[in-house]
Amino acid sequence: MPSPEEIKQRIEAAIPGAAAEVEDYTGAGDHFRATVTATAFEGRSRIQQHRLVYEIFGAEIGGPIHALSLKTQSPQ
Amino acid sequence: MSSQPNTAQDLPMSSPQPSAAPEAPTASGESNPIRDAIGEAIAEHKVILFMKGTPEAPACGFSARTVAALQSLDVPFAAVDILPDPRLRQELSAISNWPTIPQLFANGELVGGCDIVVEMYESGELAEALQ
Repeated sequence: MPSPEEIKQRIEAAIPGAAAEVEDYTGAGDHFRATVTATAFEGRSRIQQHRLVYEIFGAEIGGPIHALSLKTQSPQ
Repeated sequence: MSSQPNTAQDLPMSSPQPSAAPEAPTASGESNPIRDAIGEAIAEHKVILFMKGTPEAPACGFSARTVAALQSLDVPFAAVDILPDPRLRQELSAISNWPTIPQLFANGELVGGCDIVVEMYESGELAEALQ
């Protein structure tokens, strides 16, 4: 079962320059909420930004990670 | 208004119908009735939401929030419940390259999932995207 810290590290490792904050919002270890800030998001639509994050986890989304709620942004 | 049940005949539009599921997906390159039906539904409906449950009885908080955003804009939308057949979700995600449910489409394009739809609703962008 992934921890918020593990998810944070995987996002930050996969997307260069990304900073992620991840919380387990039910405490059950399978519903997470992540805010990700990355220069890699610049010039991309929200859908493309979310796909970049979802792609890190592949089939884990909907599996061990039941929900990963996302807010993505580029640095101000 | 949330359903237009006479289109996309193989999909559980809003109120789940008795199962008339096509045969299981075949190897790539052969016909795929479920994927075709999903593609037709997306093409035929200006605004269509693939969700868990129905607009009247959402079966997931993310689907419920997405329905609430649409309803508060008073936008008519078709709704497909993906729960009755797991292949619906598989084929939908294969088409959309989007792993989660709900998925909102407008004018044939993926608008987003719950997070994006709610964010666009709060910023005022959603109404424009659904025109």
